Amino acid sequence: MNPLNLLYGAGGAWLAAALAGLLAGTRRPGLLTCCAISALGGAVALAGGCWSLIYGNTPVVTPGGAAQTITGGPLQLQATSLAGVFVAVLGLVAVAIAWYAPRYHQPGRGTAVYLAAYNLALLACLAVLAAGGMVTFLVAWESMTLACYLLILRHPRSGDSARGAFWFLALSEIGFLLVVAAFVILSAKTHATVLDTMATRAHLVNGGWLAATFLLALAGFGFKAGLVPLHVWLPEAHPVAPADGSAFLSGMVVKLGAYGIALFAFRLDPVGGAWPGLVTMGAGAVTAAIGILYAMRERDIKRFLAYSTIENTGIIVTAFGAAMLFHAYRLPALYAFLLIAGLYHVANHGCYKTLLFLEAGVTEHAAGTRDMDRLGGLVHRLPRSAVITFVGTLGIAALPPLNGFVSEWLIFQGLFQGFRTGSHLIAILIVLAAATLGLTGGLAIYAFVRGFGVPYLGMPRTRPAADAREKGQPLGGPALLAVACVALAVGAPVVLAALSRAARTVTGVALGPLLLPGNLTVIPAHAGFSAFSPTYLAVFLVAACAVPALIYLAGRPRAASVSVPVWDGGMVSFRPRMQYSAMTFSAPTRVTFDALYRPAVSVTRASDDDPAGRSGPVHYEAQVTPVFERYLYRPVIRAVEWLAGAIRPLQSGDVNLYLLYVFAVILLAYLVGAL
Amino acid sequence: MITGQDEAEAARQLREKIAAQFGRSLHIRTLDTGSCAVCEQEIRLLSAPHYDLHRLGFFFTPAPRHADLLLVTGPMVRAFEVAARKAYEAMPGPKMVVATGACALGGVYRPDPFVHGQVGAVLPVDVWIPGCPPSPLALLHGLSVAVGRLAEKTPGLTLIADGQSPGDGT
Amino acid sequence: MPLWFARGLRRGVVTTRYPARPDASAASLPTPPSFRPEKLTRDLVDLMIAVCPGPALRRADDALIFDVGTCTACGRCARAAPYAATPSGEFELAATNRAALVKTIPILGEQR
Repeated sequence: MNPLNLLYGAGGAWLAAALAGLLAGTRRPGLLTCCAISALGGAVALAGGCWSLIYGNTPVVTPGGAAQTITGGPLQLQATSLAGVFVAVLGLVAVAIAWYAPRYHQPGRGTAVYLAAYNLALLACLAVLAAGGMVTFLVAWESMTLACYLLILRHPRSGDSARGAFWFLALSEIGFLLVVAAFVILSAKTHATVLDTMATRAHLVNGGWLAATFLLALAGFGFKAGLVPLHVWLPEAHPVAPADGSAFLSGMVVKLGAYGIALFAFRLDPVGGAWPGLVTMGAGAVTAAIGILYAMRERDIKRFLAYSTIENTGIIVTAFGAAMLFHAYRLPALYAFLLIAGLYHVANHGCYKTLLFLEAGVTEHAAGTRDMDRLGGLVHRLPRSAVITFVGTLGIAALPPLNGFVSEWLIFQGLFQGFRTGSHLIAILIVLAAATLGLTGGLAIYAFVRGFGVPYLGMPRTRPAADAREKGQPLGGPALLAVACVALAVGAPVVLAALSRAARTVTGVALGPLLLPGNLTVIPAHAGFSAFSPTYLAVFLVAACAVPALIYLAGRPRAASVSVPVWDGGMVSFRPRMQYSAMTFSAPTRVTFDALYRPAVSVTRASDDDPAGRSGPVHYEAQVTPVFERYLYRPVIRAVEWLAGAIRPLQSGDVNLYLLYVFAVILLAYLVGAL
Repeated sequence: MITGQDEAEAARQLREKIAAQFGRSLHIRTLDTGSCAVCEQEIRLLSAPHYDLHRLGFFFTPAPRHADLLLVTGPMVRAFEVAARKAYEAMPGPKMVVATGACALGGVYRPDPFVHGQVGAVLPVDVWIPGCPPSPLALLHGLSVAVGRLAEKTPGLTLIADGQSPGDGT
Repeated sequence: MPLWFARGLRRGVVTTRYPARPDASAASLPTPPSFRPEKLTRDLVDLMIAVCPGPALRRADDALIFDVGTCTACGRCARAAPYAATPSGEFELAATNRAALVKTIPILGEQR
């Protein structure tokens, strides 16, 4: 069966869900109906994505004949294998969010509009992934941006909300301009608008144009994906959206940026030479490191997760860049291997980041705050939520045996084989990228120990945190994603088999035997380099924990045990403020990396010259300098404002001057036409 | 349950048990409940080369979790009661408490709003070591009694002198 | 360093063998007194109670109640009544029972 039919079904379901949400979202039954249809669409999309991974690329379809889209070009759809991963993640995320939304949102007019926008965004994402032609892609991309803008602007009256949504829209539009430029150049040079045709004719295009196109595409999609320094909208937009909106943005929309980069890098734009791969890999590595470093300084859980998304985007783009490098050096096995590893990380990140954002929403609802320094001890008050969040945290910190570990292992193994390129310089640069990813991985563990430990462990730091209750919290969606995380890890051989089928359509390399030699083991594209079995690792770790536990339970002494408090030095009252705060826990990174943060610290006392020596309350403030806003964006904005101010005299309001303009332009057109 | 055996036999068995448990290795946690610190100085001398309690298998440890015996000085000021109870409860069983110094034994300070007067008011004391301060030898003796290495002499002691007294003619 | 080592070797082992063998310095320890009941009279006992800086001594009719637990071995009662109270030389006074440290000494001397 053609997977495109499944995608039609999913798209139709989401359109129906959008209508249902808009018309009936003001009541609870309407809300439930909308979410149910959306979940159905998600399930169909998940099936369609998985099926298209195995099926391969479908032919381009122009439904409705030469039916015109809004801009007058035909609607061209194609279900590709490369997009299959992204469609599957989209479906899974949609199911989880649809399960989560009914208990999270209150029915009302705002919710109705929000749900309609959300389902339209799902539809637009699907259209981007299923686009077979340039115009379809661009129209779908812009629709997705607009729908996500409405998503972020759930609470339009709030200043933060408006600011975050504005940053998102502004930078998305700049990125869109660059993407349009890239597509238009490529389309003009290949005289085609269907992506497949562009791909087959691309090698005929002049190398310089191909290079320019690639750079435009990297920058344009980099805005959406969150590459540094194009990432500044992410930490502004994600926290202000509702939790499931942030989950959708981080889990899916950011992935579309990565999809765009993959589209140009692997299908459409065969740029020669090693430099495109180097640039991409370098951008990815820098993004990953800077992302996690900024994450360490965040107290707001959602901003923290937003920076972590930037870090993971960096990892994915590094994998893609390294794949391009190996392709340039004619190592097809490693080329396909790193592409597979990058796609695997896309799937994994979609799972656990969505989970973490949904759980952040649960925490916000239960404890009333997103600030880590106001939380604490939630593991006792929200036990099931804590377990689910812990699974997600293990995944994103890339700890065995979960899925993050598998995909990062694959990426590292691919990077470690850089010596096979034969060029010393390239090998060193690849190892540098691997080292940067290693730093990122270590900091990620540190960051997520803080991200899980400070809110969930210890004692509650405020009354609302102590009063948090789990009753009525939406845990079904996150639980589904936790199961998916475990399944992606334990079922790694299956996932890798499917991904290698997808990679074959793009790279032409059938990596099966070089990746999965049997017995549930994975080898990194070359036998004899290393080997690893995620399934056996998971089983072994569970057994290693279970066997001592069983021995203990069986041989427990019969005497009753006494439970006494932890020895705290005999203090009479242990106050929650004696615990680590989120900022003190990450203080070592502030000290080590203060060249990046440039913290501005101010300490003021109420009075410095009190005769009794008391100084009153001390006010301490530490701010991370927003390096990119201040040194990159503000100058650009000021330049644009200056330019606008310089042009302003043209709009004098004088009708005579305007007539003069018209006359001058006609004269110019006549002269140019005559020549 | 020890039934049908006389007390001396039970005491002997208990001593043997204690000796078996602690006789070769005892970890001591000191606790100062408000003393003048002279008892602490004598306790510190135990680690010095002349008295060297390590040769007897006694060790000092700061963590109650690792301690077998709580060596308490001071008259148990009320402000310290919670900490003393916490330290005692933090010790895993089997555990013992030894009170040492005249203040800890009671009588020196009357119970009042600030002080209990004796350690036995808060903790269950197993061995009392008198002295002000107790000399390190007395402490070693008391600790050896606590682990069952030595028998206590006090019940048989009358403190009634017999024999010659200095310059006594009558 | 070698000088220190040589000096140490000459001095020999300074660690006491207590409790396996008696300690040489035990003889010079201040110890609680022991009493001679036939030398005790009521007035003498009252005098000793007056000079005792602590609550160690009490008189209950014809008995001297001596709480060894609170005795600081200051020796004032022995200096006040040298025939009635002498240092006992006992320092191994650990007791498992607090009451065992309270000794009753009968007052057998005549009132003069």
